[in-house]
Amino acid sequence: MRYEIRVDGHMSETLAKAFPELDHVVMSGQTVLFGPVVDDAHLYGLLARCQSLGLRVLEMRRVPE
Amino acid sequence: MDPLGDPFLRTRLAVPARPTTFLRRDRLAGHLDQALGTPLTMVNGGAGAGKTVLVADWADRLERPVAWLTVDASDQAPGVFWAYLLQALRACGVREAEQAGHPADPMSVDHTLLARLAAALNARDEPVIVVVDEYDRVSAPEITEQLGFVLQHAGPGMHLILVTRTEPLLPLHRYRAEGTLTEIREAELAFTPEEAATLLELHGLRLAEDAARALVERTRGWAAGLRLCALAAQQSSDPESYLKEFEAGQSTIADFLLAEVLKRQPAKTQDLLLRVSVLDRFCPDLANALAGRQDAGPILAGLHRANAFVEHLGHSWYRLHPLFAEILAAHLRVRFPGLEAELHRRAAAWLLTCGPLPETLAHGAAAGDWEFTARALVDDLAIGQFFTGPSAEVRTQPRSADLGELFSRMAPDATGPEARLVRAARALSDHDVDRARAQLRHVRKALDADRPRRAAARLSCALLEVLAAGLTGAPGRAEHAAQTVWELQREVPPELLDRHPELAALLQAHLGSARLWAGRFEDARAALRTAAAGSGGASTALPREESLSRLALMDYLDGWPGPAERKALAALTDAERFSLSEPAGPGLGHLVLAAVAVDRDELDAAQALLDRATAAQPEPPDPVTAAGLVIARARLQLARGQIRAALRTAESAVPAAVASPWAEDHTALVVSAAHLAEGAPETAAKVLRDAAERRGACAVGAARAQLAAGNAEAALDLLANPPATDAGGPAVTVRAALVRAQAADQAGDGATARRLAAQALADARRERLRRPVLEAGPWLRRLLGADPLAGAYGAYGAYGAYGRRSAAPRAPGATHQPATTRPLATTRLPLGTRQPAATRPPVAEQPAPLVVEELSGREQDVLQRLAQMMSTEEIAADLFVSVNTVKTHLKSVYRKLGVNRRNEAVRRARDLGLL
Repeated sequence: MRYEIRVDGHMSETLAKAFPELDHVVMSGQTVLFGPVVDDAHLYGLLARCQSLGLRVLEMRRVPE
Repeated sequence: MDPLGDPFLRTRLAVPARPTTFLRRDRLAGHLDQALGTPLTMVNGGAGAGKTVLVADWADRLERPVAWLTVDASDQAPGVFWAYLLQALRACGVREAEQAGHPADPMSVDHTLLARLAAALNARDEPVIVVVDEYDRVSAPEITEQLGFVLQHAGPGMHLILVTRTEPLLPLHRYRAEGTLTEIREAELAFTPEEAATLLELHGLRLAEDAARALVERTRGWAAGLRLCALAAQQSSDPESYLKEFEAGQSTIADFLLAEVLKRQPAKTQDLLLRVSVLDRFCPDLANALAGRQDAGPILAGLHRANAFVEHLGHSWYRLHPLFAEILAAHLRVRFPGLEAELHRRAAAWLLTCGPLPETLAHGAAAGDWEFTARALVDDLAIGQFFTGPSAEVRTQPRSADLGELFSRMAPDATGPEARLVRAARALSDHDVDRARAQLRHVRKALDADRPRRAAARLSCALLEVLAAGLTGAPGRAEHAAQTVWELQREVPPELLDRHPELAALLQAHLGSARLWAGRFEDARAALRTAAAGSGGASTALPREESLSRLALMDYLDGWPGPAERKALAALTDAERFSLSEPAGPGLGHLVLAAVAVDRDELDAAQALLDRATAAQPEPPDPVTAAGLVIARARLQLARGQIRAALRTAESAVPAAVASPWAEDHTALVVSAAHLAEGAPETAAKVLRDAAERRGACAVGAARAQLAAGNAEAALDLLANPPATDAGGPAVTVRAALVRAQAADQAGDGATARRLAAQALADARRERLRRPVLEAGPWLRRLLGADPLAGAYGAYGAYGAYGRRSAAPRAPGATHQPATTRPLATTRLPLGTRQPAATRPPVAEQPAPLVVEELSGREQDVLQRLAQMMSTEEIAADLFVSVNTVKTHLKSVYRKLGVNRRNEAVRRARDLGLL
């Protein structure tokens, strides 16, 4: 499964390291994290990680392989 | 001494302190006041939304005791969670928590414990206020389910306040619909521009109204964002323009601001902050150890004063705000790649000397240093905790199931003796004795070379050998290893032994089990009683339960069903009190109860108990339990008349290192009884030839077989010279007396036969032993047929049931009565019940005739309606049967009760307790 997670604001390079398994790109006031997600547990883990870093998740969607 | 002991624990049960710049917001406190009117309150918001400080401030001003629990990442197991919650209740003086008991098994909590707690809370006059902070860390759905259960049944006795980042899986919609939920969510927690301006004023920053509005817009009123803003702006030369710049930026807030605040700290402060981000809590000394410096104390105090990152927990322990800790950890990884493991290692090393063991182990594991971690565990003599409850000192911390989980990640290249000991312990707790033995062999070799050092490891090794010997039925090895343990106990610090009562309890329980297997009952009792009498704490609950059920088994085998039942029930009650999970706890206790139930002819109950025991443990973990299962199951099958099945069960092998005399003898007894039931008394006698010389119960069985084969003399011989070793309890003596009575009867000595039978029946009745009477056979019925004795016998009630499920041989011509499943109503009668004189002419003093047959269910129905003065027609209509059918039932009721008329039948039935 591949997912992309759109969070509010420009993430710093340092903070992006908190998601080592994902790539990221910064655009127009948002940061898009994207990459492979192993399973549901990983998915919920990513959401929890966003929350614990104080990130605001705007969108989360599965993208075609 | 602080009742809570552990400082880590104390900080988790205390209402957290507020930062110096805390802004009380009355609109929120007012809303929270409604919590006192609803059973459930939920304060919901993201990290840094200001949830905890809000509730903490409110709770502190309440002037009522509040039970506070901050959930920890290690509380994932229900048993652990409830242990802490109960401790939180106790800490705020809720006595009801004491009555509820302690969960001993981390993986589960017994439902009755929760029910007890809820009922006790429900009965309170003053409701207790319980706050669970960081509830989002609870990931196990069953914990939420259990909490919901307690909440529901505590009724008005509890107000629960959950502080959480995520919605719990409670049926919130229902609470909302009922209006029984107070809810404070993120939008309400957000700062208004006015509040934001006041907050920044506390930081010494003055903001114009529109600037405050813009700031709130940018941060969405997020408390942590505002706080970081204030910090960053404070440190800049021109705070106002700094804030303007920030407002215009597009960065993610916390990340950006934290980096800003961090980079303005002195280098050594930055370094310290990054390093302590691997710790949940820290004191200056621990921080020094991580940073390799001496001045962490003043730095941390300064950070706390400046309200930057660090929160004070009291007793000079600190923690990072969780939000900042996460972000700092990301910075740590970027700035010092690879340092994380080293920091965990240093933390573990520091904690080893001053901290609680679980934290040491957690950091050791996080560092991936398995040799160190295993050694820390073994040197603390904590190896027994793989099997039992916690050490006595931390009663709130149940058996570390996390221990098994923690070490499941252990790298295979850890091959030191301690690492192998841990592997052996894990294998033993999975009942994989072969794997454990292989590890222990290596351990012995390595430790022998290191003598006389490493006493703790050698002691742990010997203890595990005792356990392995107990699990495989190897009494010689168990004794030898136990001796080694006792010798080594002198070489380890006594306070370590005091802290781990589970070591001695485990040793005695398994040593006792091995002795039991070897048939040395007296020695076994000595060891098992020591284990069973041990401290009442949760740490020894499991060995205590195992020992009690083994003592119960010995009582049963010796023919004492009453004491066996009491001990088995005590074992199960104890297990329940400490919430031992089924696989660890019950098993043998249920098996003993099942065997006793068979002796009492309560076959359905026996089946249910057997099912429960085997459901918990499909494969018996040790030979004693395995043999117990074979005996109980075969006896039940025999009682149900399933002869072939009983034989097959008796033949099933019980794997063990050495053979067990009692297991063999009692199995032979079952086989013999099966042959007897099949009409092969010679074979039955032969099977017991050897066993009869060893065991009273077997001598009686052999005598019965000899008698059935027509060798009355041989039978009496067997009974006249019972094996000296065990006299046997009532289950043996009743059977013996019945065989004697039968022999006397056959010899034509009716008087002696009746005297013996009367005595046997009286004894049987006292112990509720119905099965021996049913086994005795049809001659007993003939013997007692028209005899005054019959009164006592009839009252006893076994007679009517004869032949129902009896596996005893049937004499030619004996009628087999129809099977029924109704319990025998007559058993409720006290011995020697007399009937009213009028119903039994002509001799008034004569005892009542016995009820030779129990009433069928339908007959009972008819009888009940008869007693309500219903006519035959009414009864027929009521029962949806024809009048003729009712008449048929009435006739058999009359016949069975020995009466001729309705009113007599009713009176007689009342006298017999049938109505």
